[in-house]
Amino acid sequence: MADSTGMTLMDLITADPTPALASSSASAAPTPGPSSAPPTALGKPATEKKSKRATLMQIHNDTVSVAKAALNPVRTNIMPQKQKKKPVSYSQLARSIHELAATSDQKSSQKQLVHHVFPKLAVYNSVDPSLAPSLLMLNQQCEDRSVLRYVYYYLARILSDTGAQGLGTGGGIPTPNWDALADIDAVGGVTRADVVPRIVEQLTAEASSVDAEFHARRLQALKALTYAPSSNSGMLSRLYEIVFGILDKVADGTQKRKKGVFGAKGGDKEFVIRSNLQYAALSALRRLPLDPGNPAFLHRAIQGVSFADPVAVRHALEILSELATRDTYAVAMALGKLAQPGGALQDVLHLHDVLARVSLAKLCHTIARARALDERPDIKSQFNSVLYQLLLDPSEKVCFEAILCVLGKYDNTERTEERAAGWYRLTREILKLPEAPSVSSKEKDKSQKTRRPQPLIKLVMRRLESSFRSFSRPVLHAASRVVQEMGKSRAAAFALGLQDIDEGVHVNTFADTVDSHDSDTNGNSHPENTRKPSSLSNGTGGKDTVAGLLASLMEVVRTTVACECVYVRAMVIKALIWMQSPHDSFDELESIIASELSDPAWPATLLNDILLTLHARFKATPDMAVTLLEIARVFATKVPGKIDADVLQLLWKTCLVGAGPDGKHTALEAVTIVLDLPPPQPGSMLGLTSVDSVSASDPKSALALQRLVQAAVWFLGENANYAASEYAWESATPPGTALMMLDADKMVAAASSRNPTLAGALTRLQRCAFSGSWEIRIIAAQALTTMAIRSGEPFRLQIYEFLHTLAQGGLQSQFSEMHLSNGEDQGASGTGLGVLISPMIKVLDEMYRAQDDLIKEIRNHDNTKKEWTDEELKKLYETHEKLLDLVSMFCYVPRTKYLPLGPISAKLIDIYRTRHNISASAGFNDPAVATGISDLIYESKPAATEPDTLDDDLVNAWAANLGDDDLLGNNAPAMNRVNEFLAGVGADAPDVEEENIISRPSVSYDDMWAKTLLETSELEEDDARSSGTSSPESTGSVESSISSHFGGMSYPSLFSSRPNTYGASQTTERSTASRFSNPSTGGASMYEGIGSPIREEPSSYAFESFENPLAGRGSQSFGSREEERRSSGNPKFGTALYDFTAGGDDELNLTAGEEVEIEDEVDGWFYVKKKRPGRDGKMAGLVPVLYVNQS
Amino acid sequence: MLLALLISNSVGNILVERYHGVPAEERLHWRSFLVKLGADNLRGAKNEELLVASHKSVYIVYTVLGDVSVYVVGKDEYDELALAEVIFVITSTIKDVCGKPPTERLFLDKYGRICLCLDEIVWTGILENTDKDRIKRLIRLKPPTEFS
Repeated sequence: MADSTGMTLMDLITADPTPALASSSASAAPTPGPSSAPPTALGKPATEKKSKRATLMQIHNDTVSVAKAALNPVRTNIMPQKQKKKPVSYSQLARSIHELAATSDQKSSQKQLVHHVFPKLAVYNSVDPSLAPSLLMLNQQCEDRSVLRYVYYYLARILSDTGAQGLGTGGGIPTPNWDALADIDAVGGVTRADVVPRIVEQLTAEASSVDAEFHARRLQALKALTYAPSSNSGMLSRLYEIVFGILDKVADGTQKRKKGVFGAKGGDKEFVIRSNLQYAALSALRRLPLDPGNPAFLHRAIQGVSFADPVAVRHALEILSELATRDTYAVAMALGKLAQPGGALQDVLHLHDVLARVSLAKLCHTIARARALDERPDIKSQFNSVLYQLLLDPSEKVCFEAILCVLGKYDNTERTEERAAGWYRLTREILKLPEAPSVSSKEKDKSQKTRRPQPLIKLVMRRLESSFRSFSRPVLHAASRVVQEMGKSRAAAFALGLQDIDEGVHVNTFADTVDSHDSDTNGNSHPENTRKPSSLSNGTGGKDTVAGLLASLMEVVRTTVACECVYVRAMVIKALIWMQSPHDSFDELESIIASELSDPAWPATLLNDILLTLHARFKATPDMAVTLLEIARVFATKVPGKIDADVLQLLWKTCLVGAGPDGKHTALEAVTIVLDLPPPQPGSMLGLTSVDSVSASDPKSALALQRLVQAAVWFLGENANYAASEYAWESATPPGTALMMLDADKMVAAASSRNPTLAGALTRLQRCAFSGSWEIRIIAAQALTTMAIRSGEPFRLQIYEFLHTLAQGGLQSQFSEMHLSNGEDQGASGTGLGVLISPMIKVLDEMYRAQDDLIKEIRNHDNTKKEWTDEELKKLYETHEKLLDLVSMFCYVPRTKYLPLGPISAKLIDIYRTRHNISASAGFNDPAVATGISDLIYESKPAATEPDTLDDDLVNAWAANLGDDDLLGNNAPAMNRVNEFLAGVGADAPDVEEENIISRPSVSYDDMWAKTLLETSELEEDDARSSGTSSPESTGSVESSISSHFGGMSYPSLFSSRPNTYGASQTTERSTASRFSNPSTGGASMYEGIGSPIREEPSSYAFESFENPLAGRGSQSFGSREEERRSSGNPKFGTALYDFTAGGDDELNLTAGEEVEIEDEVDGWFYVKKKRPGRDGKMAGLVPVLYVNQS
Repeated sequence: MLLALLISNSVGNILVERYHGVPAEERLHWRSFLVKLGADNLRGAKNEELLVASHKSVYIVYTVLGDVSVYVVGKDEYDELALAEVIFVITSTIKDVCGKPPTERLFLDKYGRICLCLDEIVWTGILENTDKDRIKRLIRLKPPTEFS
């Protein structure tokens, strides 16, 4: 009846005890080992469409047999079933219940129910409503407590079912005939709608019964009622009615709590019954929705704090701590004297219920920090003192909760100021135990000893240190988490620059003042106690400074890295990252992380989580950009396969933007060394070889490393100008100067003296373009073009010349001894980039030629003293526009400011514009104009008329796509994860990173992504705001001004999808962009993305004439093997190394060993001819270079 | 919120599962995650030795008891330490019901009773009763505190 996997548990349960065990578990797991076999699908929603007809037949049979059974003397069929060792089907169970319910007064049937029927029924995930009548009958007639307990259990399950099968809280085998019964009223089936009111009716009657002997059932009835879905308002009001009805009777009156009533025995009968009812009522109240405005609700919860039942007290406190977050003032006032010394709250401190004390900590924290209570410092201090006393709690859970509360971590919405204040409190405040009259008389000596005021920090540190010595992993994990939170608060305190945070100060200096004060007031103070700390404070460099305490704690934390559990270690590393202060050396941290990462046990999700921690850490302390990037580099090189390139890029970007104007250079440097791009000196090749060894060891991670390097290269090209603050449209160098510096050495010298950041980035990219793998070379070339277009001279010229060299083929690649690339053959000749680069060179060519022409024209006009005619100006302007369009294909430039014809053209173009009333932004066919973006951008902010510095920054940041909302929006997956992580929300199921885990059901994870994406928009806003405040003077101003000027618009950005008009002129740049914005694209499609547009439409750039004044020189100086080969016309031959199957029309099938004639090489492909046609009849076509061995 | 409570046998078949606040489509995912976690880490673990894991802000504490593995998943106030409390109550109750760390057979024999106990321990995603004796009374439909 049930599906085969579902039988498992029932099989097991009904199996014959000893011999059947082995066989049944074997059948349960046909392929042993849960990782290879999916776990049994007990709770799987029963979507398998069994034939409805069969189900109906079954139901019919069941009913008939029930009817028959009703006529005959009762003989249950469970026992024989069991002896036959056949699994019991649901319908059999259901029938047995019907039968046994009729004879529930007999002992034997009660026994059957309790021992056989009900336990087996528990296996199913829901109970169908047709059982309800029998259950209700049992409920009314049966006397047996065990039977009744089961009846309540099942009634609750019927109530909790929301109608859709499998949505009940309990898992188990899907109940078989539910669907049919719910859908069709056929064969006298009972529907949920029929039975629920009856169940509720009966349970309500029981819950309201006042019979004292009945009160245990009352409790269970009330409990079962709370399982009804709270969406039903009628149900809710009924429940409220019952609960308040009970409380009206039992809550008032003297609430003297006597010692001993917590236990099982004790107390007079009336008191105990009342206490039990109080418990039941509060438990039910806890399950009901909060009712903040209702004074009765609050009143009852307050009363609950004084109840005798510990669980009731816990629920009362939980309710109050939740209420307090909504209406602190009311709760605080209502609690009134309960909080005073000797009040009920003090008693909770000694209550043997951990969670009750946890709720107390939260409650106290909420009230003690409430703004609403600023007028009443007395109340606040009362609660504060209770909170501080909880720091001494024997349970770690309570103590840690109290520490977190002190630190200002209450929920996920805390603000920096609160965190900072939390750190201040922790380091400054003193725990003073109040007089506790209830206990003092008995344990006078003891209490006086502990009553000595203690600085919180010392208490906390001591506690944490001892926790770190625990063997329990949860304790270690929690302790590390507390240290992490401590680091967050500390970072917040430093970020806000709280005045007197001097960690060198002796903690006892604060204590001393209080101590002496105490000794004045208390006559019987202990002189030796007060003297001890002061004598210590005279000692130099004692352990008792905050810094000293922290250092010793961190020592213990570090040793915890040795824990076996990878999750604990992850938490420890996060704690270390948070406790790392910007000025300390981070060598130790780095080496810890590096050695950790060599452990293959780390799951990818955890590592990315740590990367996100770096991100969060950076946001808290922007000074740490370089440190954090260094750490990120360790991740990227050590475990490239497990790192999400998106997360890494996000980290880089945030660091770069956040580092501020001064830190930009170092931040970019850190990014570039992130991936150990081949360094200049062979001496420093160590890093590189270590990277290579990683990639060689594992092809998967080699590929991932490749992707990371690509990301870094792309990032470098895209952001170098921003980091260097070098933009062509701000360049002061007249173009003439550039043209004069034709000597390459001079050029490099000039460049690096002018802007070392950009020069450095340039050198790195050039090296990549030569020595990286094929994909990296392409991206490096694209990055260089971007930089050439954006930078002024002499950088542009430098790149121009370099690209030429590259296009001609790389003699240099032979000389540079960079053959140890990332596991890829360089290709036999050239860089293979010729086709790709030529459009880029053409753009630059056009620009230079136009500049030359312009200068010529200007000279002519100057010599002949002629004015520029309108016709000439128009021509000039058209060239300007055309070039702008061209340039925009490669990278983003601000159209208003960018002058492809050089600064010299500015005046003339301006003249033409004013004469013809062309607004700067409204170029003829500017895509931005077409999409309407430019209207928003340019007209709201006429850049030319406002040459203030902010504006420059703004344009620059914007040009580099930094800090725009668009980025946040479109880079959503990573950003989302960051936000989610920062907010600490989300209970979504974890990724299971094994490939052989069962395929997912219909709802894919991507869909869930999409869902979260939609939901977190608010979070993102918060995030943007917080990043703005994190560095008020730099990013804050830039970002906020950007958002205020251009709020919510989408800029053309490589991160974002371009405006649609760009689609027509799709470029390689475009495909790069889309590749990086789409994390899911794998290696193969990346290849397609680059390869196909080039191969299929190499002439998408309509450059007919390719004349270049520098070309001759370039090729002379560097030479070109490819050129030589082609010109000599010697045919080359080769043999196929492997079989190759053509992937397209222009490709050629190869069989290993086949001899071919190599005609040409394009981009890693040989155009080859075979000696005789292959099976497909083709003679010639493209094959990958690597497949052919050149002879 | 206690998101999930799972009990599986030694080869990863689920014996008991209770969810609260976990959408139906995520349950399967949680189940396979937990079973895999157990398969990776529980081998060789001592009885009732607590293991811990976390995923985003969700905590997981799990342990092995005789032939069965117990997993609890929680978030917010149910952090790793609170879950340790929960799992302690569960394991001690199971031991109580079975009389010793259960074999799979024993566990299944007491299946109904264990379900009732769990019902008293976790109630709509919130930890309810923690006291063994009290639980024992409640599953026999006796009041939580008895009068002498």
